[in-house]
Amino acid sequence: MALDRFRKLADCLSKKHDADCDCDAAYRQFECLAEQVVQGADMHDILPQVALHMDQCPDCKEEFEALVAIVRAEREHRINE
Amino acid sequence: MSERTNQEWLADLNGPPAVQESALRELRERLQRGIFYYLSRERSDLAQLSHQDINQMAEDLAQDAVLRVLDNLDTFRGDSRFTTWATKIAVRVAISELRRARYKDFRLDDLTANDELPVGGMSNTSPQDTTLTPENVAERADVMAKIDAALKEALTERQYQALDAVVLRGIPLEVVAERMDTNRNALYKLVHDARRKLRAHLEAQGLSVDYMLNLFQE
Repeated sequence: MALDRFRKLADCLSKKHDADCDCDAAYRQFECLAEQVVQGADMHDILPQVALHMDQCPDCKEEFEALVAIVRAEREHRINE
Repeated sequence: MSERTNQEWLADLNGPPAVQESALRELRERLQRGIFYYLSRERSDLAQLSHQDINQMAEDLAQDAVLRVLDNLDTFRGDSRFTTWATKIAVRVAISELRRARYKDFRLDDLTANDELPVGGMSNTSPQDTTLTPENVAERADVMAKIDAALKEALTERQYQALDAVVLRGIPLEVVAERMDTNRNALYKLVHDARRKLRAHLEAQGLSVDYMLNLFQE
């Protein structure tokens, strides 16, 4: 397991990071970004800072992906009324 | 039934009691359907729960979410559908609760202050690492020792604790922040600072990130 932790550390240190986009800043953009992603947009093109933040923040990534899943399911009528 | 517009949602949620009650009920039911979908389709960790249990969870979480939506109505900017914005809030409520439940017994003390990343010997190779030469193994052990030293030299105890919990052990920021008596945002910045300091410290010793990635790749 120790080797796995070193790999995680090296991987973490290798990622680019934008200190200006913290969790609060990313969260404020979630609803707009989610709607555009559901329509087929690439979030790295629309809001690269937020995308970069989510590469580094599993908490935000998890919440964003959940939001996208629900919105997409609603648009595709897979959530029953 | 046609969808309410954003303006209609805001007006009805702020409207006279009968109108507000209808809007609240519709909102709660909508959020509950979304949460139920998420819990039942997207969360494999909840697969063992019955349909009834998940439904009850979704109902409880939706109720909490509606209250949170009402508390934050004045922050809705109108640049998305109101329902998407409300679902964002519901998602946070749901996932936060799931995290709290999963890590309810987690303590920072479990991450011992002197929890070193073990170095040396076969413990640092996986059973499949039969291609590694003794030189490779020694090189890895040497670098691991330097990284371990760097973690202690470059970082404050708080930075080390945060980096270890969030990055190395994968504990959610939200959970660690609560244990460290801070908030998620501040913790994210703490981890960011720790990363930056550690990387600079290692690079000053000639250990580039690319070199480490190559050294530890499977």
